[in-house]
Order: sequence, then C-alpha cells, then structure tokens
Amino acid sequence: MLRQTYERDLGRLQDDLLALGGMVEEAITVSVASLKGRDMQASEQVIAQDRVINRKRFSIETDVLVLIATQQPMASDLRVLAAILAISSELERIGDYAKGIARINLMIGAEPLVKPLVDIPRMAEKARDMLHRALLAFAERDTDLARTIPEEDDEVDDLYNQVYRELITHILTNPRTLDQANYLMWAAHNLERAADRVTNICERVVFTVTGELTEMDHHPDTGLMDRAGADSG
Amino acid sequence: MAKIVVESLDFYYGDKKVLAGISLRIDERRITALIGPSGCGKSTFLRCLNRMNDTISDTRLTGRVLLDGQDIYTPGTDVVGLRQKVGMVFQRPNPFPQSIFNNVAFGPRVLGLSRDQDLNEIVKESLRGAGLWDEVKGSLAQDALSLSLGQQQRLCVARVIAVKPDVILMDEPASALDPVATLRIEDLMRELVQDYTIVIVTHNMQQAARVSDQTAVFMLDESQVGVMVEYGLTRQIFTNPQDRRTEGYITGRFG
Repeated sequence: MLRQTYERDLGRLQDDLLALGGMVEEAITVSVASLKGRDMQASEQVIAQDRVINRKRFSIETDVLVLIATQQPMASDLRVLAAILAISSELERIGDYAKGIARINLMIGAEPLVKPLVDIPRMAEKARDMLHRALLAFAERDTDLARTIPEEDDEVDDLYNQVYRELITHILTNPRTLDQANYLMWAAHNLERAADRVTNICERVVFTVTGELTEMDHHPDTGLMDRAGADSG
Repeated sequence: MAKIVVESLDFYYGDKKVLAGISLRIDERRITALIGPSGCGKSTFLRCLNRMNDTISDTRLTGRVLLDGQDIYTPGTDVVGLRQKVGMVFQRPNPFPQSIFNNVAFGPRVLGLSRDQDLNEIVKESLRGAGLWDEVKGSLAQDALSLSLGQQQRLCVARVIAVKPDVILMDEPASALDPVATLRIEDLMRELVQDYTIVIVTHNMQQAARVSDQTAVFMLDESQVGVMVEYGLTRQIFTNPQDRRTEGYITGRFG
C-alpha cells in the first residue's frame, strides 16, 4: 500500500471525528438528564465540557487543513475531508444546543418543574440515537442507513409539537408558569434543531460516498418554530 | 466544439501494441490534460495528434484522428502544414543555438509567413503571447541559451505560436522547471487557451487539476497495453471520478 503515513493521518482524523461525536452524544444525554433531575452540578459540567468540544472541533479543522495543504488529497479522500469539516461543524452546533439546555436548567434554578419531563427526554434520546447512527453510517460509509435516518426526524418533530402544545396549555391555564414554560420550549426547540442537524450529517455521508450533494430535509416546515421563522440550518 | 476527434486509435511499435481503442473528442480552446502512470502511452498518444510518431521507424497506427473534421492520416496529408497547425512544446526547453529573435523568427521564415506580415511584428507578438516580451525586449540579439530554463521554455512557446497554430501540444512542459517557473507556464497556458486548443501530458496531477478543463486518464490494461480509462471534466475527475482505477491513481494508492 502506498502512502502509509497519509492513510494513518486520514484514519486518525476520522477517529477524532467519531470521538467528538461521542462527546456530543454524551452532552445531549447529560444536559437533559440534569434538567429532568434538577442537577445543577451536572449542568455546570455540560457547560464546561462544551469548551472541550469546541477545542476538539478546532483541532480537527486544523488537522484537515494541514492534510489538504501537505498531502493534496483527491477524489474520495477529498470528499471525506470536506465531510469531516462539515460534520465537525454540525457536531459543534449540536454541542451548543446541549449547552443551551444546561443553561436553561441553571436559569430555572430552584423552582420546581411545572410538570414532570417525559417527552423532552424522549426527544433527547431519539436525537441522540439518530446522531449515533448517523456517525456509524459515516464510519461504515453506509448510504442506506444515512438515507433512512432523516425520515425519523418526523418523530422528533411530532414530540416537539406535542411538548409545545402542552406548554402553551400550561401557560394559558396558569400564566405564572410562563417563564419556565418558555424555557422548556426552548429546551425542546434545541433538541428539535439537533435532530435537524443530524439530517445534515446524513447528507454529508451520502456526499462522501457518492459525491452527490442532496437535500434530505423531507418535511422542511413541520416544526412550529420553523413556521415562526426561527433559525434555520 | 471538438477541434480534434480521435476514433478507435490503436498504436504499435513494431509488433507491440502500446495503445488500444482510444476514442475522445478534444474541445476547441480548452486545455485537455492527459495523465496516468509512466509508460502508459500518454506521450505516444500526444505525438499521434501531429504525426510526430512518423519520425520513429516501424510504428503503425489504426483508427482515425480528425483535425477540424479532416483525417490527418489520409495519404497525401501535408505533414509540415499539419505540424504548423498543431505545434509542440517539449519536456526540456530546446531553443536553437541562436539569438532570441532568430529562434522566434525561424518558423515564420521557413513557412514564408513574413511575406504577409513584418517579421519584427510577428516576433514581438509571439514573445508577448508567451509572456516573455517584457523580459527580453532589450536583448533580442542575445543568445537564447543565456535565458533561464523557465524563460527558454516560454521562448519555445513563442516559437510555436509564431507560426500561428490552432493547437499546441505540450509534453510535460514544466517538468524541468522550478516551482515558480512552473506556475508561470501554467498561467501562460490559461492565457493561451483563449486563442488555442491545448493538450498537455503531465506527471504532475496537481498541475493537471490546476490548469486543465478536461482530463483523460490513461493506464496499462492487463495485457500491458495503454488504454484510456476515464475522460471528463477535470473538476469531476479530481473530486468524484467514476472509474475505480482513476480513483486509485489520483489518490496515490495505485500506479
């Protein structure tokens, strides 16, 4: 085999990306568990860990640029590197969503929750599971898997709409819950966005293998917040 | 529009077949790069395009090579006229041991082009076209060999364009040059392609990626005969090649 050093560097970069993915999965899980369990210390840890995630993303980005500059990757190698850049950026943003949920827990503070959290943890678990499999699809270059995951985004969107409606009902029946209900809506929104970004990752998996850049966002305006003109991407 | 059309070209050195079944269309005013491992026949193919291989004894070609729709291998073809229309720049700069002026004026003189146009004008335009005029305008009487290698190569380009060709064939034109002179030649190619059709053989894949519009990938097949495995837009070949052998070659895992 020619170019052993290059092969090794390319392999290591992919491992780094998967490690970053693992950190982000953990951040989602812990952020929502700490919100549900009202664990402030765990939320602080998620916020601190986000800085580690950001640094890891920068180091991956630097390594990709160095590899491009020094090894002139071509064809599928070039696509892998472009995908690593794009996916690392998606992961970093998903990490930010988890950090946002941790912040929400701190902002709600000592106040008891207006309702026990059921659907938000479900959303988190679904989003985390989709992310996990999207990264698996990247590692395995499995386009079939990458193509099916975005369809599951509907489940997250449905849960989101349900959480949204419930919280609106709380606000209407008890306006004093407005602030907390609003925070929780944001937490749910973050998870809904996280799942959308998993779709972007799946697009990069298909691009890596086939060279085709196609949009997989099959229901672009399902989310309530999307209709309200919230951030896209 | 296709300037050159090659149809089912086979080429032999004696009994040995070195190219098989090459068919491609070379677009007018585009740069077409021929890449592939050493010994896969890309330079041989390049020389088929202006019958340079005729100068090697015991060679044989089947198939057709059409320049502007005319088969250049038809008996009775004016080979000198053909090589004026399809000029060539070689791997090592090969200026004549004469003045800069005479190097460029050589072709127009032989072909009698200076009857229609002032020779001084032709030399000036050609040197300008080759991006060399500003560097040599005060020293046209100097020996061409006093120029740097990079300048000598651009002088060879000037010598080719002085006879007003349609097509310029380049056989690894930068392989003897340093990186800066190489980039100058590449820039020059992008200038020249506005007026000429260029076909370049290069071992430097990055060079092919940088300068060419189309890329043809040559390889040896199982019986050690040169074949073209893929041909397409350069941007496609270097980002998403369709042939496994191309992928292997340009990622450096094979060849």
